[in-house]
Amino acid sequence: MKKLLLLSITIAITFFACKKEEGCTDPVATNFNSNAEIDDGSCEYTPISTNLTINFTHTVDATNFILGAVGTLPYTNNAGQPYNVKRLWYIISDITLHAEDGTSNLIKDIHFIDASEVSTLSFITNDLEDNNYTSISYTMGLNPTKNISNAYVNEDFHSKMFWPEFIGGGYHYMKLEGNFNDSITFYNTHTGPTNGEDYSFIHTDIITLVTTETTSEAIISINMEINNWYQNPNSITISNNGIMENMPIQMQMKQNGSDVFSTLIN
Amino acid sequence: MFAILYSCKKEEGCTDPVATNFNSDAEIDDGSCNYPAEGCTDSTASNYNPYAILSTNTCEYIGCTDSTADNYNIYAIYDDGSCEFSTTPYIIETPFGFPNMIIPDNNPTTIEGVLLGEKLFHDKILSGDESQSCSSCHQKELGFSDGNRFSAGIDGIIGSRNASTLTNSGWNTSFNWDGSVSSLEEQAFEPVVNPIEMHNTWANVETKLNANGEYLQLFKEAFNINYIDSNHVVMAIAQFERTLVSANSKFDRYIEGNEQLSASELSGYAIFNSEKGDCFHCHGTQLFMDNDFHNNGLDHEPFLDIGLASITNNPADNGKFKTPTLRNIEHTAPYMHDGRFSTLEEVVAHYNSGGIYSSTIDPNMKKVGIGLQLTEQEKADLIAYLKTLTDSDFLEKK
Repeated sequence: MKKLLLLSITIAITFFACKKEEGCTDPVATNFNSNAEIDDGSCEYTPISTNLTINFTHTVDATNFILGAVGTLPYTNNAGQPYNVKRLWYIISDITLHAEDGTSNLIKDIHFIDASEVSTLSFITNDLEDNNYTSISYTMGLNPTKNISNAYVNEDFHSKMFWPEFIGGGYHYMKLEGNFNDSITFYNTHTGPTNGEDYSFIHTDIITLVTTETTSEAIISINMEINNWYQNPNSITISNNGIMENMPIQMQMKQNGSDVFSTLIN
Repeated sequence: MFAILYSCKKEEGCTDPVATNFNSDAEIDDGSCNYPAEGCTDSTASNYNPYAILSTNTCEYIGCTDSTADNYNIYAIYDDGSCEFSTTPYIIETPFGFPNMIIPDNNPTTIEGVLLGEKLFHDKILSGDESQSCSSCHQKELGFSDGNRFSAGIDGIIGSRNASTLTNSGWNTSFNWDGSVSSLEEQAFEPVVNPIEMHNTWANVETKLNANGEYLQLFKEAFNINYIDSNHVVMAIAQFERTLVSANSKFDRYIEGNEQLSASELSGYAIFNSEKGDCFHCHGTQLFMDNDFHNNGLDHEPFLDIGLASITNNPADNGKFKTPTLRNIEHTAPYMHDGRFSTLEEVVAHYNSGGIYSSTIDPNMKKVGIGLQLTEQEKADLIAYLKTLTDSDFLEKK
């Protein structure tokens, strides 16, 4: 009998020792159990807000882009023309995240980028709603409901992106300018609503961005591959003739724009 | 014993010195005092008699004696410097297509401030020998500019830059050709003490203004100050300058649908607003300027005047100058930062040539070395259009 009791105790101790305690094993959780060895999915957290940073980056043939130095033509477009970029201003609007559950989250209405101004190369949205985001979309330029003359008189970009009423009114989508060929004359790749026609376009990228109550930061980079403006499907040569009134080229730029932008989740 | 008794008996009577029957020998007041029945019974008066029963209308008051002050005291005879003035806002309408004007929080535009600023703007008291005012080089009929290439200061020394127009300067985000200052207030400090302009000292200006009763009164009314300092002088001038709004040109009336442009003017409008002339990239919007700095291809390097770079110390800014508004351009000759062009024809000829290449020339000067190749008629049309930006009301208004 004594033997049996001892055996029972031994078994019990052994059994107890083998049974690992379950609970929340995450030290940052509010109900962290330091004795728990197996996480049972019960962790609870103080919800923290997610700050979303959107960065705007630029490349030429996948290499980092540098605003043009005097007399140097570091890039070559599809047509074989050497060029540099001295000014790059553009507008991205309706930046929206789309979630698995079908909801959309407008991140920013209008963002103006001046490649020479670091402050315009990113912005932060506080308190991004937690969700399982599966795609991002944004408009290159301004769509016709937004692109109205004098609609943004108090914005910094008003005087920079103004598009004359005489050739359609509203605002430029982009000013891409620099030297080419002889490094003296300039090309001005200016896109916008020529004669009131809409050449803005929506770009969408599939992404995987899951934000939860523990996500404090999310970073999305939107890259412009500059050489793609001039190729695929249309090979565009740059010249010192402006294109603001050239509807066929505006359409070609819009078509080429389909692979200009890409999105990276950091 | 009697003597002792006598000395112990204190005399009774009226012991109040202001009473009519005051008894200087009385040691014990027996309640018999009589007081004058008449006097000033108002406790707020300077000669208030607390014992007077009947008011005699002889009360005298000190206080604010200025009938235009908020706290004017109609009975006050002596002014004690306590006057306070309220100001009336001067509302500057924002014309169609204009941004909101930049007005510093600490210098709201008031009717009193604008009136004072206008007087100061035209007063030669600001210059060292009282021979020049702001308006000497910023003449209204010339769009508040100077007809000379360079302006001569009080000592006859010639400057090196053309006097800027003040047309719609309330919308400028920086001032002077090189953007050296960023507010109208800040700007107004400079010409007064510049040795080649008004060549004065602010201490001297303050002394003169504080010795001038009219200015003391006007500054009191505009700013509630008793001592005139340089800060308030430039604040008043800036308030006046903000009222120099020009938005009623023939072109504005055309936009409103109230006036038609001629065929030539319309042709010029089309050249201006297309890449044929490509004027709008810098002189666009209803302000006809972009609040930015550009090298418009005037000179070869090295530049005689490096412009913006003299402020930023950035060689990439060499030869860049602030874009002036084209409103009233017909009347603001000569043109460019150094007034090198005396006519609009010369200006258009410059742009038509494509300009001179330099390392900092603006990429919008894309026809450098080639030229715009406008015909004589097109050049004339462009000038005809520029003249539709003249606002006669603005240039002629009192």
